[in-house]
Amino acid sequence: MASTACFVIVSKNDIPIYEAEVGSAPKKEDLAYHHQFILHAALDVVQDLAWTTNAMFLRSVDRFNDLVVSVYVTAGHTRFMLLHDSRSEDGIKSFFQEVHELYIKIFLNPLYLPGSRIASSHFDTKVRALARKYL
Amino acid sequence: MATSQKAARLGEEVWKTRVDKVNAELVTLTYGTIVSQLCADYDNDYAQVNQQLDKMGYNIGMRLIEDFLAKSNTGRCGNFRDTAEMISKVGFKIFLNITPTVTNWTADNKQFSLLFDENPLADFVELPDDGRAQDELWFSNIFCGILRGALEMVQMSIEARFVSDVLRGNDVTEMRVTLIRYIEDEMPPDDE
Amino acid sequence: MIGVGKAKQYANVLDKPLGRGRQEVSLSAFAFLFSEVVQYNQTQVDNIAELERRLEDAGYAVGARVLELLCHREKGNRRETRLLGILSFIHSTVWKVLFGKVADSLEKGTEHEDEYMISEKELLVNRFISVPKDMGAFNCGAFVAGIVRGVLDNAGFPAVVTAHFVPIEGQQRPRTTILIKFAEEVIHREARLG
Repeated sequence: MASTACFVIVSKNDIPIYEAEVGSAPKKEDLAYHHQFILHAALDVVQDLAWTTNAMFLRSVDRFNDLVVSVYVTAGHTRFMLLHDSRSEDGIKSFFQEVHELYIKIFLNPLYLPGSRIASSHFDTKVRALARKYL
Repeated sequence: MATSQKAARLGEEVWKTRVDKVNAELVTLTYGTIVSQLCADYDNDYAQVNQQLDKMGYNIGMRLIEDFLAKSNTGRCGNFRDTAEMISKVGFKIFLNITPTVTNWTADNKQFSLLFDENPLADFVELPDDGRAQDELWFSNIFCGILRGALEMVQMSIEARFVSDVLRGNDVTEMRVTLIRYIEDEMPPDDE
Repeated sequence: MIGVGKAKQYANVLDKPLGRGRQEVSLSAFAFLFSEVVQYNQTQVDNIAELERRLEDAGYAVGARVLELLCHREKGNRRETRLLGILSFIHSTVWKVLFGKVADSLEKGTEHEDEYMISEKELLVNRFISVPKDMGAFNCGAFVAGIVRGVLDNAGFPAVVTAHFVPIEGQQRPRTTILIKFAEEVIHREARLG
C-alpha cells in the first residue's frame, strides 16, 4: 500500500469538498495541508488537460519530488485528485471508478447541495476502505 | 382474503394495459426538487415543509381520484378494509407501480398501516445531519395529503400520518391511516 | 411490528446499487407532481418571469444530477468536451431517459453562431397544463430549459437557455423550442479545439 496518499475531491468551482489522508504512513497535520496545497496548485494543469480527452481518468498530470498527482474528472467537472508515491496505475483507476459511483449516489440525493462539503461518515468509511483495497 | 387478491389482479391489469408510463427517475428527481425547494423556501423549518407537502398532496388527491376511478372502473368499497386493499393494490400500483403492505388493523377496523418497502419518491435520499431532519422531516409526506384528498372525494374523512421512516433510521417506513367518519351527503351537489 | 419486505432494505443509500434506470411509474404521477410544482411556485412569485425563473432553477437541479448519472450509466463514463457532443447527449440520451424518446430535432441557429435549438412537437410538461389566458406567454417548458442549462453548465458549456412556443401551420398546438445561447468562452474554446 502507498505510504503517502492524499485524496481530495474538488468541486467544479475549485472548492475542496472532501479530503482524506489514506496512505499507510502516520498522519501529520502539517503534512496534510502541504499535500492539499500541492493538489490545489495542480488544478490549472488538470483543467487544460480535461478538455483534451473524453476519458475521465487522466492518469498522472503532475509530479512533485517523488510524489505523483493522478486525477479523475467527472462529467460535471468534479475532480478526484490523488497525491501518491506508489505507481500502481490499475489500482488507482479502480479506486477512482469506485469512488465515482459513491459520489454519484451522494450527488443524486436531492437534499445534498452540489458543490457543498460531503459530510457523510459512511462515504468517508467507504472511501478509506477502497483506498486500503486499491492503493 | 378474496378482496385482496381481486384488488391485486385489478391493479396488475390496469397497470399493464391502461397506464401510460414514464421513467421512474423523472418522478424521483422532480419530487426531490420539490422537497429541496420547500426546505430552502421555509429555511429548513421541517414542520412547515411537512405541512406544505401534505397540502400539495391534498390538492393532488382531489384530482387523482377521478383518474383512479376512470382507470380502475371500480365501484364503491363495501367497507374500510376493502378500501385499504384498493388503496394499496390498485391505487399505489397504478400510479407508482408499488404495493405497500396493509397491516396492523385495530379491532374496530377503523385504523390500519401501510408499510412501504420501496418508494420511488425517496430513492437515494439521505436526510441532512443537522440534528433536526431525522426527527422532524417526513420526506414522503405528500402521500398523506394525497390519501386524505382522494378519499374525501369519495365521502371518507380520514387522517393519514407517517409513524416511522427508513430515512430516519427506522426499520420500516410506516403510514398510519385512520377512518374518522363517512361523509353523508348533507346537501345536493353544488355546481361551481 | 416489522413488516415483511419484498425489496431488500439497505443499511445505507451508499450500499444500494445505482440500478439500470428501467423502473417505471405512471405518466399521471409525473403530471400531478409537476402541476403542483407550478402551482406552488405561483404562490411564491409576483409575476410570470419570476415563475419561469423558479421553474428553471428547479430544472437546473435535475439537469446537474442527470448529467452525472447518465454519462456514467449510459455513456460508459464518457465526458463530453465538444459542443456537438454535449448537444447530442442532451438531444438523445437525456431526452430518451427522461421523456421516453429522443427530441424531435436539434438545429443550429441560422442568424447567430452561438445559438442552437432543440424542438419538441409536444413537450411532456406542456401536455397537461393549460395555461390560463391571463398568464400570456408563460411556458412550463422553463422547467426543461432549466434541465438543459443544468446539464450544459455543469459540463462546462455555460449557456442561456429558454423555452418558447412556436406556432406551426396546420397544427392546433404550438411546438416547444428550447433555445440555447452559448457563452462566448464556449465558442472560443470550440474554435481553439478545432
